[in-house]
Amino acid sequence: MASNFSGLSTALTALTANRRGMDVSAQNIANANTEGYSRQRADLESLGGTAVPALWSTYRGPGDGVMVADINRLRDAFLDARNNAGHAGSGYLSNEQQLYGQLEQLVSEPGDQGLQAQLADMWGAWHDVGNNPGDLAARNALLQQATTITNSLNSRHDGLSSLFTATRDQLDAVVADVNATAAQIAQLNQAVVRASGGGVPANELADQRDKLVLHLADLTGATTLRQPNGGVDVLLGGAALVSGQTVRNLTVTGARALDNQVTSPVSLQWQDTGTPAVIPSGQVSSVLQTLTTTVPYYSDQLDQIAATLASTVNTQHAAGYDLSGTGGGAFFTGTTAGLIGVAITDPALVAAASTPGGNLDGGNADAMAGLATAAGGVDLAYRQLVANLGVTTASANQRAAIQTTVTQNAGAAVAAASGVSLDEEMTNMITYQRGYEAAARVVSTVDSMLGTLINMI
Amino acid sequence: MLTSMRVTERSLADASMRGLQANLNRLGTLQQQLSSGRLISRPSDSPTGTIAAMQIRSDLRQLQQYGRNTDDGKGWLNSVDSALTASMDLVHQAREKALTGMSAGSSDQNARDALAAEVDRVRETLIGLANTNYLGRPVFGGTVTGTAAFDQNGVYVGDPGQVRRTVAPGIKVRVDSPAANTYGSGPTQLFTVLAQVSADLRGNPAALGGDLDQIDTATELMQSQLSDVGARYNQLVQLGQSASDRVIQLQSNLSDVEDIDVPQTIMELQLQQTAYQVALGATAKVIQPSLQDFLR
Repeated sequence: MASNFSGLSTALTALTANRRGMDVSAQNIANANTEGYSRQRADLESLGGTAVPALWSTYRGPGDGVMVADINRLRDAFLDARNNAGHAGSGYLSNEQQLYGQLEQLVSEPGDQGLQAQLADMWGAWHDVGNNPGDLAARNALLQQATTITNSLNSRHDGLSSLFTATRDQLDAVVADVNATAAQIAQLNQAVVRASGGGVPANELADQRDKLVLHLADLTGATTLRQPNGGVDVLLGGAALVSGQTVRNLTVTGARALDNQVTSPVSLQWQDTGTPAVIPSGQVSSVLQTLTTTVPYYSDQLDQIAATLASTVNTQHAAGYDLSGTGGGAFFTGTTAGLIGVAITDPALVAAASTPGGNLDGGNADAMAGLATAAGGVDLAYRQLVANLGVTTASANQRAAIQTTVTQNAGAAVAAASGVSLDEEMTNMITYQRGYEAAARVVSTVDSMLGTLINMI
Repeated sequence: MLTSMRVTERSLADASMRGLQANLNRLGTLQQQLSSGRLISRPSDSPTGTIAAMQIRSDLRQLQQYGRNTDDGKGWLNSVDSALTASMDLVHQAREKALTGMSAGSSDQNARDALAAEVDRVRETLIGLANTNYLGRPVFGGTVTGTAAFDQNGVYVGDPGQVRRTVAPGIKVRVDSPAANTYGSGPTQLFTVLAQVSADLRGNPAALGGDLDQIDTATELMQSQLSDVGARYNQLVQLGQSASDRVIQLQSNLSDVEDIDVPQTIMELQLQQTAYQVALGATAKVIQPSLQDFLR
């Protein structure tokens, strides 16, 4: 049989437990709008009660009250993983979308200022020279028009180069961010493991850590492996970036300028082993792909446009004769978008005539103008490049939009599982309040019962 | 989607924000289309449309150039035509003089000298006409540099080159007149014949009969060249007309591909604005009530 005073201590445990429950609700309400916060719940457990039935066991009364066994954060590891994967995809695709947007701006088609319009103007200028081979003004206009084209090819190449350099700087910054985040995760891992080892709730620390893990997923598509001690390992393509409290750093090597990309390609490596790091997804992966594949590809395409322009025009030009009757030399110099230029400065050297002898024939200029529609000509190649870019950009936009929805849904699912519902907290608050009031009433009742007993003496 | 899930204030706010954002995004796209007047401002807006627009723009530029080439060619052929028409009259005059000289016979030397002088004057005028220029180039001189096709003695100084204008894809029209096919060459060349007529008027009226035949031959040659020029001119006019028709057609095609349908876009903008206002109103209502409002 329990003591007369046991009712008091039972009521005391109820007062304490309800107050802690109220504390947890207060914490939840306080963090209703905190990014990455997961709602917490006080897990109550009844104390004492009947022992395991056995032969000589005795009845010990109805139990000794209640205790707060743990304060749990409500978090679904599966939803977290899905959310991380969603963010990894978003990080990759939104960066890709941004890149293609920039490439499209560089191309500036369709319009009256695009390369297509400039090419058409140049072929027109050849017609004009063919119509008036003796007119130096027409020849000068042609040279100006050709210079406009080479300038715009040059500036597009420069645009790609500066895009490359800017992206390279971005990669440095992002990788530094990855390293710093990984270091923070390792520190938080240590803190969480120590706290849970000491039996202290470390929910806020774990929330902070998970927020950082989400950030890493956004950047690199990192996946996680939860350890029984409360720590989290972060993996990059199977290799550990963070393992418990140890961190491996990433480092970027290779070209800082587009022109050096071929000789020393950009690569992302583990600092300790020097082996290439596999980045499955995320912003870093997209940035890396921009540097190693996308920008070099479009640079090559642009170079091919320049080479086609130079070779077709130069071949036709060599077949003609200039004003003095000499055979035509090279019209364009250079065969890359960065280096192409107009070789001729003297308008008289434009080979407009198809017959030698210094006459006013315009046959070659006319034939040159016909290159506008020639199969394998530069116009066609350029249109194909723009079509290719347009289709790729449109599909990048679409994939980014779809991924955004996927990520939002995954985020919504996490928020649904872990977000603070104010209505729920209000309800909990009332429950704890009533519980507290009832426990207090128990104390006063037991008190009056004891008073009755004492007054009997 | 949210039905089976726990709904919190935060997730409601997020969903509302997403909805507003999507609404505003569509509104922005329409606004941009309306203010720029263009449906396609980036290749990704419509890759096929972009290619069509580029192709049409380049075709347009080419057709406009063909139009300019045609105008230039018409200028050349006009010059040839008027020079030849005037020349025909002059050759007729020369023929009449020769005929008069022939009928006058060997009696009146003075009259024949006067006729010969007139034939010489006609010949000079004809040489002048044969040196007709268009934009500083002799229309009978082929691709020669300088402004003369014949020197003052009626000797051809041009070259056999051809002046052609590309007036449609793959169609090149010759716009000059080859001197050999217009004035003849060698002993039957018009200016040589006229010189012979003048000499025969002065000294050998009996040969004038043969000279008249040669004048007739030369006239026929010019006549046939004149009709050829007319035919080529007609070709240019027709091609020019079809090119300018095609320009108008292409411009409307380009506009179809690239430009917005204004009434439709305005309608869509209006609808989108309404949708946005509805979303704003709904957001304001949804976030409002809470359990707090009812706890006393």
